[in-house]
Amino acid sequence: MHIRYLSLTNFRNYARLELALPERPLLLYGANAQGKTSLLEAIYLLATGSSPLTSLDRQLIRWNAEAEGLPYARVWAEVAHRARRYEIEIALERKALSNGTVRMHKTIRIDRVRKRRTDLAGRLNAVLFMPQDVEIVSGSPAVRRHYLDAALCQVDAAYCTALERYTEALRQRNAVLRHLRDEGGDPAQLAPFEEILARQGVIVAHGRRELVAALSHYAGHIHRQLTGELEWLRLEYRPNFDPAAPPWLKYQMELGLHYSGPPPGVTDEELVEAFRQTLVRRRKEEIARGTTLTGPHRDEMRFIAGSPALGIHEVDLGMYGSRGQQRTAVLALKLAELA
Amino acid sequence: MSTAPAAVTRLIEAFAQLPGIGHKTAARLTFFLLRNRLDLAVHLAEALRELKERTRFCSICYNITEEDPCPICSDPGRDHSLICVVEEPLDMLAIEQVGTYKGVYHVLHGVLAPSEGIFVENLRISELLTRVRSGGVREVILATNPTGEGDWTASYLVHQLRPLGVRVTRLGRGLPMGGDLEYADVVTLTRALEGREEM
Repeated sequence: MHIRYLSLTNFRNYARLELALPERPLLLYGANAQGKTSLLEAIYLLATGSSPLTSLDRQLIRWNAEAEGLPYARVWAEVAHRARRYEIEIALERKALSNGTVRMHKTIRIDRVRKRRTDLAGRLNAVLFMPQDVEIVSGSPAVRRHYLDAALCQVDAAYCTALERYTEALRQRNAVLRHLRDEGGDPAQLAPFEEILARQGVIVAHGRRELVAALSHYAGHIHRQLTGELEWLRLEYRPNFDPAAPPWLKYQMELGLHYSGPPPGVTDEELVEAFRQTLVRRRKEEIARGTTLTGPHRDEMRFIAGSPALGIHEVDLGMYGSRGQQRTAVLALKLAELA
Repeated sequence: MSTAPAAVTRLIEAFAQLPGIGHKTAARLTFFLLRNRLDLAVHLAEALRELKERTRFCSICYNITEEDPCPICSDPGRDHSLICVVEEPLDMLAIEQVGTYKGVYHVLHGVLAPSEGIFVENLRISELLTRVRSGGVREVILATNPTGEGDWTASYLVHQLRPLGVRVTRLGRGLPMGGDLEYADVVTLTRALEGREEM
């Protein structure tokens, strides 16, 4: 899979760029503020539908394009994948509404046909490594969940749909929880959302578990090479909810011991039911807190490393890793994603 | 519009609050009424007043009606053991137009949308449950829209109705008539496959 041609209009600091790309590794170099990062950002945008640097699409439009009265940005690429070729286009438009507010309008087209964001999955796969990515190791669990979700959504449209439905049901259930806390009412109205959370949550957890296992395998390998066989690295997925985990296992997980998933023989149906029952069981506590406490939205992934040569057996890099170790781990992770 | 007389501005602003009508259309309607023969405006005014004065909710099905109970609920020719649950009165009219449904209705006046502040208590759900509990109901057909909100509402109702010992069904979902498989979206096709029927 490679980009044959890239065209940018009013994107970041590019008024116009028309660039044919060869099918081989590229090195971009130049002085500051020449658009090296913006070029990478454009590619990532085409792969995922959103920028890795900002959640405000408005910022992607070249700043004096607005002054010139053309608040419009367009990113277009021709992608070759095996024998196939297709075009991906994302257009951003600033629209002023009659009531005075301004709204950003994003249009995604594949081969000139309008598509939804989830349709981008698997079209163009990109791995981006930026200085701030060290946050994946050292930052909050939300950063790691976001990283896993973004990686999975690029390739797996079913995961993306499940995650969207899960997130929506979570938002609704939390609204009901707050309502019940503040005004009272029938707790049974939580049930429809619990069903969706359980069903989609199991899909989400399953996707993440498989990805972490695969990443751990490759990243461990790469990490050994990067450190000249001096250190090892392992990724651990720590689901917030694991119905199959007996209490002793949960205790072990808290101690940081390795855990690879539910025991074999447990069906998805049983997992869904167990998850649903847990949600029902914790209703009272969750109404008091006004938020859902169980589920993949509270999952965690940890980076565990050791360097036998230095006599360090096992250490959690997020908590105890040096900056250098954290950077090496992220690099290994990103390279693993390529694999 | 500040130069227009207050009576004109007032009507424009009133029209502009209606769904699907912006300021321009509101102004156009107002000036049309102004220029038109007097009796249209008077006729409209009367109709509007009667709309609020003469209509109320049916105390059984919560449909909009002039007499209570509504003509459907008081029709002995209809099957009162079969209740079709709809979101809005308009949905009921749509089913009535089919002409083949012989049961009665229950209008919820909305759907569950917690993030927008609409909860079970804001809908005519407890009234439906009371109605079913009081007996004589054999089947409840859930005819909420195939949207997220419609699905949540139906899902809640199923949980509440099943223990009452009535049959609970839902409108079939899937492909539209005259449609084409290759143009159907993924969600619709998934639903159509899930809801397939034995032939």
